[in-house]
Amino acid sequence: MPHVTFIHGIANKPPLDDLLRIWRDTLADAAEPLPLGDRGVSSSMVYWADLLYEKPEEDLSAYEGVLENTAEAIDGGGNAPAPRPQTAEEAAFIAALRAKMTTLSDAELETAAPVPAPAAPQGALERVPLPWFIKKRVLNAYLSDVHHYLFDVEYAPPGRTPAVRIQQTIRRRFAEALCAPAVSRPHIVVSHSMGTVIAYDCLKRVTDCAAVDGFITLGSPLGLDEIQDKLQPGWSRADGFPHERVAGDWVNVFDRLDPVCGFDPVLASDFRKAGQSTVEDVAVQNEGTWRHSITKYLRQKSVATTLRRMLRV
Amino acid sequence: MSADATVDELRARAKDALQHLRGLGSVEDLAAAKRLVEALRNVRDYETMGQVAEAVSRRDPKDAKNRRLYAQYLIDTGKATVAIDLLRPLAQRLPKTDPESAEAAGLLGRAYKQIFFDAGDKTSAGAREALKQAIVAYRKPFEEQAANTWHGVNLLALLTRARGLGLRLAADLEPRDIAQQVIATLEATPKEKRDEWYLPTLVEASVGLGNWAVVERNVRAYAAAADAKAFQIASTLRQFTEVWDLERTDDRGRGLVNILRARLMELPGGGVELGRAELQRLRAQPEPDLSQLEAVLGTEGPQTYRWWKTGLDRALAVAAIRQQLGSRIGTGFLVRAGDLGREPEDELLVLTNFHVVNEHGASPGIRPDAAEVVFEAVDPNRAYAVGELLWSSPPDLHDASLLRLKTPVTGIAPLPIAAALPVVEQTARVYIIGHPGGRDLAFSFQDNELLDHEGPPAGKPQIPNVCRLHYRAPTEGGSSGSPVFNGRLWEVIALHHKGGKMGMPKLNGKDGTYAANEGLSIRAIAAALKG
Repeated sequence: MPHVTFIHGIANKPPLDDLLRIWRDTLADAAEPLPLGDRGVSSSMVYWADLLYEKPEEDLSAYEGVLENTAEAIDGGGNAPAPRPQTAEEAAFIAALRAKMTTLSDAELETAAPVPAPAAPQGALERVPLPWFIKKRVLNAYLSDVHHYLFDVEYAPPGRTPAVRIQQTIRRRFAEALCAPAVSRPHIVVSHSMGTVIAYDCLKRVTDCAAVDGFITLGSPLGLDEIQDKLQPGWSRADGFPHERVAGDWVNVFDRLDPVCGFDPVLASDFRKAGQSTVEDVAVQNEGTWRHSITKYLRQKSVATTLRRMLRV
Repeated sequence: MSADATVDELRARAKDALQHLRGLGSVEDLAAAKRLVEALRNVRDYETMGQVAEAVSRRDPKDAKNRRLYAQYLIDTGKATVAIDLLRPLAQRLPKTDPESAEAAGLLGRAYKQIFFDAGDKTSAGAREALKQAIVAYRKPFEEQAANTWHGVNLLALLTRARGLGLRLAADLEPRDIAQQVIATLEATPKEKRDEWYLPTLVEASVGLGNWAVVERNVRAYAAAADAKAFQIASTLRQFTEVWDLERTDDRGRGLVNILRARLMELPGGGVELGRAELQRLRAQPEPDLSQLEAVLGTEGPQTYRWWKTGLDRALAVAAIRQQLGSRIGTGFLVRAGDLGREPEDELLVLTNFHVVNEHGASPGIRPDAAEVVFEAVDPNRAYAVGELLWSSPPDLHDASLLRLKTPVTGIAPLPIAAALPVVEQTARVYIIGHPGGRDLAFSFQDNELLDHEGPPAGKPQIPNVCRLHYRAPTEGGSSGSPVFNGRLWEVIALHHKGGKMGMPKLNGKDGTYAANEGLSIRAIAAALKG
């Protein structure tokens, strides 16, 4: 029986079961419906939002609807505070990553007055025509989650102890999920957003991870130099493909206006296998103003057809 | 009573309660049994509900709420006149200040309403009298207290229906005034006091004013929600079709009914029963306008509707197996020989149960030469004789018979066969299209929860090469030989074999029994056919 392991992206999320159901239902209701269960495909989710957020989002409507009027609806749930760097390296990393998203200062983002959109946007978030009081929360969630993972920060959400090493804990969860008893072949990993970084990190750099048969990244920030730098040792432009544990294809789906992909959505040239471009980059056009939502990616015909091909169903 | 108790748990509790109430039974036992009656009503297990209500009535015959619930059981099991005999004295003896008084009066109205709707000729004297009595029953509590909005909205709907039939019942009442009064009362209800019937009631009142934009907006608020409840949509659908007669009176209303029917089928506990003519009419109807689909169900509206239409198309290949010139004895369905590993691959064959048709006519089945196959949704007057029994497997194995018809079937698409069994997970559903027990020329589209199966990856078949599935039907079981479909694709996964209200041993070595239906994997049948 084929199996899909999902891994979610930045910001707080609904409870595990609800999140998994939402992803599955979205695939089943897609333009090219792919009801995994009916096709005899089992699925599971690597869930890590609980390590960074106090409690799951209870109102599911933001995650299932199409409105873009709340932070939760655009990957900004959980109200994460801006990350606090402990070292100069961390500060430089956060500043560089932040600069990719916006050139506005914190003080400017805090002002109640709407920030005028510049004629030529310098940051990826600036070209998203949504108010900054919503986008600010996405920015914080993005910087915070990426930082906590890549710097393996010891952290516990407010009111929860003990603190744990974020990268180590998530890596362990990912590795355990990949060799769970319910998993069988072909086995495909479908990742979104920060989940693509985690999945890549584990498949490329964690020797305890089981091998899989295919890898799909959706709305990935893996093209950003700052993130690639943090995936060394392991990543290199000439040998970036995680061939150690990905036996089949890697398909990367992106929307050019997805701010999380930044201005580097294409991965083939940065993740070569023996110097050859093998990642298949697929450009899609998601609906609406916020192009990063997982539900929008999962509704794309190319995602369903790719996954179906990899699963051989 | 926990809100999420399963049907099995409630039935087990009912069994205990009945035992306790037969004996000495404490005050606590009686109180628990009373709560159980309501819980059983909520899961629509009316038969068990009636048994417990009867037992409670014997111990506490004056308990008005239990008597009212008992009456509801009677109505929902087709005994409306007995319910009236129970409700009329109950409504009379209760003081107006008792909250059960308005409930009993409303239920009395519902009993009469049911008699009206069940009448084949709505203009007959009996139907007219029932309509009149229903209006009287709903009118009184509404006029006494405007907060009784469900009485008001039923009064509105029935008055509108009566006017449509040319009957001047309650001539002093103006339906639009009632609609406006109901809406005003609802809108004045503080948000925290609005219950699950708030929106459906507002919707109906808005229908009374012909305000379709408001109707669609409010239907969407509860029908398109991720946690939409089947009973709410079923109730609205019933009111729209039976009371308001929207399918026949209004194009936009017809579209709305179609959309609700599609949505109902998607939800746990949803089910639709259609007559042959209705099925044909629905298939022939144009798809609701895209803007209306999206207005009511959101962006996934068109997808939901296409899914439902596919289900209607599948019904064409579902056949009644009849004794020649006699009554229907089971169901069968059209399959492509190649999909079961037979040749010639494109030949169309019929699959049914062994216990429906078998070589020697072993009871309760009949011999092939005594059987005829009728695709009732296509042409109820065309019967196909059975030419040959190609293969069969007895009831303790695959309970299957594969039939070749004397005349090849043309113009009907065979049912697609699923490549795999669905994953057993909490949200997994299967659907059955069959002829519900005892009723000819009716198709029951039932939503069923997939409980377990013996297929991969975790299945442990107890009978070599046989793979059983268990699923729970919310209402009565489909008839023998029906196709069992996967939830999203309408592909056949199993041959329905038997139903069991209680006592079906669990699969895969699990202890205990439950209420379940049983089907046999079509892939396993295909494998057996290949030998």
